[in-house]
Amino acid sequence: MKGFAWHRALAVYWKDFLDLRKHRALLYSMAALPTVLVVVPAGVVWAYVRNPHDPNLKVMANYYGATVGADHAARFLVDRVLTDWFTLYLIMPVFVPILISSHAVAGEKERRTLEPLLASPVTALEILVGKSLASLVPSVTICVAAFAALCVLIDVVAWPLGDGLVLPNAMWLFGVFVVAPLFAFFGNAVAVIISARVGDSRLAQQLAGLFVLPLVGMAGGQFAGFLKGGLEAAAVLAAVMVVVDVSLVAVARRLFDRERLLTRWG
Amino acid sequence: MPTVAVSGLKRVFGERVAVEGLSFEVEPGEVFGLLGPNGAGKTTTVRMLAGLLPPSGGTATVCGERVPVDGDGVALRSKVGLLTEQPGLYDRLTAHENLLFALKLHGVDLVAGWALALRYLARFGLKGREHEPVGAFSKGMRQKLAIVRALVHQPQLLFLDEPTSGLDPESARTVRDAIAELAAEGRTIVLCSHNLSEVERLCTRVAVIKNRLRTVARLGDLRREGMTLELLLDGEAQAFVAAAQALPFKPTALAEGRLLKVLLDDPATAPDVLRAVVLAGARVHQAQRAARPLEEAYLELVRESPGEAA
Repeated sequence: MKGFAWHRALAVYWKDFLDLRKHRALLYSMAALPTVLVVVPAGVVWAYVRNPHDPNLKVMANYYGATVGADHAARFLVDRVLTDWFTLYLIMPVFVPILISSHAVAGEKERRTLEPLLASPVTALEILVGKSLASLVPSVTICVAAFAALCVLIDVVAWPLGDGLVLPNAMWLFGVFVVAPLFAFFGNAVAVIISARVGDSRLAQQLAGLFVLPLVGMAGGQFAGFLKGGLEAAAVLAAVMVVVDVSLVAVARRLFDRERLLTRWG
Repeated sequence: MPTVAVSGLKRVFGERVAVEGLSFEVEPGEVFGLLGPNGAGKTTTVRMLAGLLPPSGGTATVCGERVPVDGDGVALRSKVGLLTEQPGLYDRLTAHENLLFALKLHGVDLVAGWALALRYLARFGLKGREHEPVGAFSKGMRQKLAIVRALVHQPQLLFLDEPTSGLDPESARTVRDAIAELAAEGRTIVLCSHNLSEVERLCTRVAVIKNRLRTVARLGDLRREGMTLELLLDGEAQAFVAAAQALPFKPTALAEGRLLKVLLDDPATAPDVLRAVVLAGARVHQAQRAARPLEEAYLELVRESPGEAA
C-alpha cells in the first residue's frame, strides 16, 4: 500500500456515490430486487398463516421430513420458507454491486472519462478501492435496510400464529451481517474483473449477472428438499466466500493495471 | 532548464511502433506544437510525457520528473495538466462537482481551489453556470470546462490534445481564444493538433511527427524553407501546370483560376519557371514571391517516402 492516499480513494468514492444518486434509472433497478425479495416471502408467509389449520400444511411439512402436528405445521413451514428464502435473499448483495460496479467501472470508458481520471495523481489501486467502496457501501446498506423491512413485514404477517417474533433469528442475523457483505464483495469483484476485460457496462452486467445463477440453483435444491439451509450451512458458505473473495481481490488488483486500463479503455 | 526534455522516446504496442526516435525540448513559457496526421503518435507521446503510459524506450524529463516514472508517477501527474481530446466530464454532475472532484484528487485546499476555479470560469464565460449539470452544456462549454479542470491544481505544464477537435467553428474559436489567453499569461503549453491554422496562431515552435520525428523548428523557419512563385496569367492557369512541372527539378504546380502557384525548394529557379510558362504560351500579368504556406511545409514533411508506404 506504499503511496496509497485515502483522500484520493475517498474522492473517487465521493464522485461515484454522487453520480449514483443522480442516476435515477439505476436507482430504480436497484430498488426492484429488494422489493421483490421482501414482499414475496411475506406473501408466502401470509398464505400459510391465513388458514393455519389447513390439513394440506401438515402434508407439506411432512414432505420436508418434519414430524409435526397439524397445530404446528404452519409455523414449521414459515420457518422453513424463511430459511430457504435466505439463499435467494443473497442474490441481492451479489446483484446490486454488479449493477453499480459495472456502471462505475466500465461506464468510465463509455463516458470517455477514464483518461482524464488516469491523468490525475490517483493510482489504479486508489481507483479500485474508491469504486469498490462506492459499490459496497450502498449494497450492504440496502441489504440491511431490506432485512429490517423484511423483519417488520414478516412479524406483522405472522403475528396471528401467536408464537412471538419470527424474525430476526440467528441465521438471518449472521447471514445479513456476515454472509451478505462477503457476497457483496464477491459481486463487486466479479463486476470489476469482468468490466476490466470487456469495457462495456451492459455486457459486464449481463456476464456478471450469470454469477447469481448458482444461488438460484441452491435455493431450488432447498425448496425441493435436497439441500438443507440453516446457521451451519450459512457458516460454511461464509468460509467458502472468504477464500473466493481473497482470490478475486488478487485477480482484480492484477487486472486493474493503469496501462491496461488506458490501452484497453482509453 | 527546459520544462520538457525528450530523448529518443519510443513506444510500441505489440508489434506496432506507435512512435520512435522523438527528441525535442520545450522551454518554460513556450507554446509548443506537436503536429502530425491522425495516428502519427501525438496522443501516445502526450500520454507518455504526462505519466499515463510508460515508454518502451528513450527517456524524458518533464517538470523535473523523470519519464519513465519511478513508482506510480503521482509526482509527475501532480505537476502537469492534461486536456484530453474528449472532455471526459461527468454529465450528471454539475460543473462545480466536476471541478470539486479534480480538486479532491489533487489534494488541493477546496476553498482556495474553488476560488481559483471561479476565476477561470469567469474568464471563460462559464460563471453562473457552475451549478448546472454538465450534460446540458454545449460542446464548446464542455471543452472550456475541461480546460478549467486541467488548470485548477496550478500545473507547471499544460498538455492540450486536439482541443478543438469535433467542435463547430464558433466553439472552436472560443476554445482557441481561451488557449491564447493562457499562452499570453506565460504558461508552458504543449498543443497537439493537426489543425494548422490553430498551430500558426498559438505556437512559437513545432515538432512534426509521423511515428517518428520529422522536424523541430520555429514556425517562421518552417515556412521559409522554400518559397512559392505566384503567377497571375491571362487565362486559366490549369493549362500551364504541366509546363511548370516538366522542368528538370520537378516543382509542384497548382492552379487556382488565373493564379499559377509553383512551389520551389530553391528560390534561384524562379526565372526558369517563368521562362518555361512563357514559352508554353502564357501571358504573365504579375509575378511575385510568397513565403511557402505552413500547409505545404507540413504536407511535405509528413508525406510518406516509398519505404514507409509499405
